[in-house]
Amino acid sequence: MRLDNVAKRYGFRLPWVFRDVTLEIPAGALVRFEGKTGSGKSTLLRVIAGVSEPSRGNVTGRPVTGYVPERFPPALPFPARDYLSHIGRIHGLTGAALKSAIDACLDRLDGRELASVPLRHMSKGMSQKVAVAQALLPGGGLLVLDEAWTGLDAEAKTALDQAVAERLAHGDSVVYVDHEPGRLAHLEAERWRLDDGHASRVTGDDSAGGVTAADGSACGGAATDGSAGGGTAADGRQRSAPEDAP
Amino acid sequence: MIALSRYELSLLLRSHRWIAPAVLFALGVFGLGGATLRHGAGLGPGLAWSALMLVPVEAWLTRSMLTAEPAAARACVAAAGGPRRTQVAALIAPTVVGAAFGLAGIVGQVLMLGVPRSVGTNAIRVGNLLSDLGGGLAAGLICLLVGSAVAVLLNPPVIRRPAIAVLGTTGAVVLALAWNGSPANAAVRSVGYAGQERTWPAGVALVAALGLVAAAWTISTQVAARRDG
Repeated sequence: MRLDNVAKRYGFRLPWVFRDVTLEIPAGALVRFEGKTGSGKSTLLRVIAGVSEPSRGNVTGRPVTGYVPERFPPALPFPARDYLSHIGRIHGLTGAALKSAIDACLDRLDGRELASVPLRHMSKGMSQKVAVAQALLPGGGLLVLDEAWTGLDAEAKTALDQAVAERLAHGDSVVYVDHEPGRLAHLEAERWRLDDGHASRVTGDDSAGGVTAADGSACGGAATDGSAGGGTAADGRQRSAPEDAP
Repeated sequence: MIALSRYELSLLLRSHRWIAPAVLFALGVFGLGGATLRHGAGLGPGLAWSALMLVPVEAWLTRSMLTAEPAAARACVAAAGGPRRTQVAALIAPTVVGAAFGLAGIVGQVLMLGVPRSVGTNAIRVGNLLSDLGGGLAAGLICLLVGSAVAVLLNPPVIRRPAIAVLGTTGAVVLALAWNGSPANAAVRSVGYAGQERTWPAGVALVAALGLVAAAWTISTQVAARRDG
């Protein structure tokens, strides 16, 4: 899929969140967006996912899309299975295919016991599993993850990493934002940085942006999660975690 | 579109937000309406009450629907079904519920006035009854559409501040019923007071109501697709 000169603002008098974003997301690509809090990453992901239309420019060739929002609200009056059934039917799944897709997504996150739990009674971790499950339901196309790992337990985080790797191997595209610099670092990603409303391609290993010194991560072992990556930019990655904190 | 509407409809029904408007409708049609009607007055005034009550009730149902869905939940559904189609589904759902209320109101009026018995004894001519029912259905449809249009224009995502939305919707509902240039007003008069001079023919009122709804739904859909919830 392609974005051509895409720009977004939420009102005529409001400033542009981003402008002139032109990029291509080829099939099988993993794309990571980076940038400071408020740099428009979430808004750009929403435009890529088709949740929100751009104010200018065109988005073309978007495949079937699953989207995990930044914060998934548990305040819906359904048990998880009913909710997932609705989402599956919207994707065109029916009958046995729908049921097996839901079971597969829940099993993958070790969340089968969530099926009968009403969303409004769920903890953050539980509802985040449902959020991820609904995005995985279509089983292909484009997966857009806006800090989807936040709130998941360690096993579910690993399961999501694996799901992403499988999708990529299958020729599907995955676009993501995460505050954890080491997230999916073991996979080859195309990195883009949003700065001042403009997106630029990040090349090289160590361009996490303006890192001068590594003075230890906030709150102790914040980087443990990224150990899988083993990249060369460990310092930079540690530093950007507090920058992204709310 | 069916799957989307089904999702939005079950969100509205399972959130129990339809119950309060249902109570208002029942009170209006069978309580207030029933109390002012007399046996032998025919079906017209009862059907007029039923249509009249649909304006505030449909407006309330529509507001309930438009405020029932958390923004992030909408985002997930919009990614799956498209933001515009999802918004249209969210506008269809309260209209379906309102239509069910309207039909229940008409059936209730027929039963309450003892029409089936009267027909059996030839006290009421079947032809009159059918034309009353046709008029009642048309009036109900017009009021349903006007209620929807008013609420869609004055509630999220078009108007987001609750105070303005609630006051505006209430005011617009009163205006839609009281102002004699409104299609809803014309529709209610046409069934309730058969002898009176009509402001608009029923066909014109229906076309006007359809136009209003089309405009309101288009604006709401456009805003929903462009702005974030």
